[in-house]
Amino acid sequence: MTAMAKGALTADQKRSMLLLAPPFAYALLLLAVPLLAIVLFSFWTQDFITLDTTFTLANYQEIAEKPIYFALLQRSLYVSGVVTLVTVLLAYPVAYFVSFHVHPSRKSIWLFLITIPFWTSYLIRVFLWKVILGYNGVINTGLTQAGIIDEPLTFILYNVNAVIITLAHAFAPFAILPIFVALEKIDRSLLEASQDLGESKLSTFFRVTLPLSVPGVVAAVLIVFIPTIGDYVTPELMGGAGGKLIANMIQTQFLALNNAPLGAALAIVAMLSVTAISLVFVLLNRKWLRGRA
Amino acid sequence: MKPLIELTGVQKFYGDYHALRDIDLTINEGEFFSLLGPSGCGKTTLLRTIAGFEGVSEGSVMIGGKDMDGVSANLRPTNMVFQSYAIFPHLTVAENVAFGLRKRKDIAKSDRPAMVEDALKMVGLAGYGDRAAHALSGGQRQRVALARALILKPKVLLLDEPLSALDKKMREQMQVELIRLQRHVGITFILVTHDQEEALVMSDRIAVMFEGEIGQLDDPETLYRRPKSKRVAEFIGKMNFLPAEVTSASDVIALDVAGLGKCEVPQEQAPGGATVGSGVVGIRPESLGILFEGETTDRQLVDAVVDEVVYYGDMTYYDVRIAGVEEPITISMKNMIGRPVLDKDDQTQVIWDARALVVMP
Amino acid sequence: MSLRFYTIAYLVFLYAPIMLLPIFAFNDATIIAFPLSGFTTDWFGELMTTKALHDAVGNSLFIALTTAALSTCLGMCAARAGAMPHFRFKAGIMGFVMLPLVLPEIIVAVSLLVVAVQILGLGLSNWTIIAAHTLICTPFSIAILNGAFQNLDPSLEEAALDLGESRWSAFWSVIFPLVMPGVISSFLIAFTISLDEFIIAFFLTGANPTMPVYIWSLLRFPASLPVVMALGTILVALSILLLTIAEILRRRGIAKAGGKDTGGFL
Repeated sequence: MTAMAKGALTADQKRSMLLLAPPFAYALLLLAVPLLAIVLFSFWTQDFITLDTTFTLANYQEIAEKPIYFALLQRSLYVSGVVTLVTVLLAYPVAYFVSFHVHPSRKSIWLFLITIPFWTSYLIRVFLWKVILGYNGVINTGLTQAGIIDEPLTFILYNVNAVIITLAHAFAPFAILPIFVALEKIDRSLLEASQDLGESKLSTFFRVTLPLSVPGVVAAVLIVFIPTIGDYVTPELMGGAGGKLIANMIQTQFLALNNAPLGAALAIVAMLSVTAISLVFVLLNRKWLRGRA
Repeated sequence: MKPLIELTGVQKFYGDYHALRDIDLTINEGEFFSLLGPSGCGKTTLLRTIAGFEGVSEGSVMIGGKDMDGVSANLRPTNMVFQSYAIFPHLTVAENVAFGLRKRKDIAKSDRPAMVEDALKMVGLAGYGDRAAHALSGGQRQRVALARALILKPKVLLLDEPLSALDKKMREQMQVELIRLQRHVGITFILVTHDQEEALVMSDRIAVMFEGEIGQLDDPETLYRRPKSKRVAEFIGKMNFLPAEVTSASDVIALDVAGLGKCEVPQEQAPGGATVGSGVVGIRPESLGILFEGETTDRQLVDAVVDEVVYYGDMTYYDVRIAGVEEPITISMKNMIGRPVLDKDDQTQVIWDARALVVMP
Repeated sequence: MSLRFYTIAYLVFLYAPIMLLPIFAFNDATIIAFPLSGFTTDWFGELMTTKALHDAVGNSLFIALTTAALSTCLGMCAARAGAMPHFRFKAGIMGFVMLPLVLPEIIVAVSLLVVAVQILGLGLSNWTIIAAHTLICTPFSIAILNGAFQNLDPSLEEAALDLGESRWSAFWSVIFPLVMPGVISSFLIAFTISLDEFIIAFFLTGANPTMPVYIWSLLRFPASLPVVMALGTILVALSILLLTIAEILRRRGIAKAGGKDTGGFL
């Protein structure tokens, strides 16, 4: 490489920047600007159609004062948390199976099979769960016909449980893939070395495999936790009165009640809570990993 | 010498693929033993069978008089240094070295740090304990792998191509290190390598393997000077092959060697056995010589024409053609002061000695 | 192998809801429940005659095609830049462009709604949806095309330049054909995502609903549920078909460029 003036860019670097410009500009325009707009909006007020742009904290005050918002937020975080826990726990063995017990030539087929359901219409899948879990739904009529139950089960629909089951189903592949990628990166001779040094297969998993797969687990947790906060369809169809979540309230404010600023404020509060929890989680993980060394 | 590892009638199949054929092998206590052969010959499979990572389809593996059938790797008195070193990236050097101590209830926890420090000192990494494992160079990683294995005081240390990932200078250094280490610790080392020079330098005995079988098992000198087959001869060092007619094969073997003529050699120069009829004779490049102008010799001579000259710094290799032999033969000559270097197409004479011939089946 | 059993049980759990679709799409009953009542193709017939559905499908197709084209283009730019030399902030910019992957869709929908309606005063139309869909599909395009571009041997382009091609013509004659499987793959996946997407479409739909929004409206009426089943069956079959094609192409693309298959586009 020829010597260059410090700070000057090579032709290749310039081309690289030029190429990245369109997607970047697009994301800036359609993501950053609208997000900024939302932040702005949360400090304004709206009366039916007229927008009052005087800076005010009224929206945030309302959220802090009226207990319903906090209750919704709490329930949403709880549901997201439980869904994340359940999904990641159930996903780990599947990722482990495909990484360690499947012949390399077959791995992509298994992954493909696992991800196909994810690509089909989300709406339809949620609706199908409603069909499955409903009072006259597939489970109840099936079990009744088979003579296993006399009365239909009611605890499986129109409440938080139904929402959790459906979301765990929807986000399963999101959890499997990052864990799989992390497990694939583990050098297999490390496992043999551990056994050679006296560890059993089980203790090898806990001493070597699991610690080395933690980055994948963290990614899986974040990929499931963050988007589930914003899920609106599942609580709407499955949650019943007691199962509505914060996203439903946001939707209501925006579309039904024409109160965009309040909706915006709610959205900001939800995002901040999620971000805060995620940061705490990631930092705790870093500390735990470093502390072991 | 007391035998430590005994393999009897070992066969290993992977489906239809016959990876190990009829292996009978005894390795003694305190030996530096090498498994040498080209890629795919089964040497690593054999090593892993001893380590316990592979089972055998037939036959038995005994270590210290105990049958290892059904004994998994973590319970065997062997430890392995892997080709990739397999250093745990999420632990420090000290934690890596101490890894195998955790399950050893007979070793007091308070003794462990001192043991780790001693092990590191033994491999020349004193004070490296707190370093992160992923920040080490290749040579350092290998030493950590050695320390980690040796701290457990195994009966056998298995090394899977430990030097193949290092550059030439590092490799030569480590060869000396490993010999020193083995003498210091006194346990059996079993080394797998495809580098014949490495095996010759370090081993007490070598098993040369081809396609799942042991071609020859001997000490380095015997292997080099008395190879039993063309294959072994070719794999270790360079060898010239000349067609020869075996005219009698009693306690003295009479030969008529193409290009060189008639001669007689004792039985010991036919380690693979000789039968009357057509055969092959091998002779090493350094056992032949060029008679330069002004020199004399009382050995046998034959006329030759220089075909190719390759200069190696300390040696010069001459490819020469002699009458009656199709292929050129290679001769290596030390570059001594005052000795000329011949050119292509020069006429010269080749010095040869019947005592350097090896008769092959 | 208990792990294998577990994984298969898990797959059954994943596929169970979808399996119901064809069962009840052909079931002669208006209630989605066991026991089954007999075979019928009435529901599919009804699909053929519902004009509102046809309009919605037309809308969705238009939006999906445009979105796929746009996000594949943007994805190609980003993926190509990704395989090229590093410059300061490059990692940050790439991360920012990929951000929509982890954002809840409702945040994206809501913020775009605010900008489009309240700030810019634009009416909602198919184009607002296209804009939003492109935003969320581009990260997926990038993920897929990254694989295709990473597998490219950089000396191929250099060889073309050495033999006299300009950068532009070298791209079309050498690079594009080699990443073509990735391009098609990305197109199909973006198309599928846009076709199925509901939340953003619901927020940003103008007078013409997309297909998922149309389905949503049907869900209120129990009588229309079997028709939804029939529609769902077609949609799922179509998605699976498109995805299988995309996967086959992705694999062929890797083989053509001489790389190894690491399983999946992530």
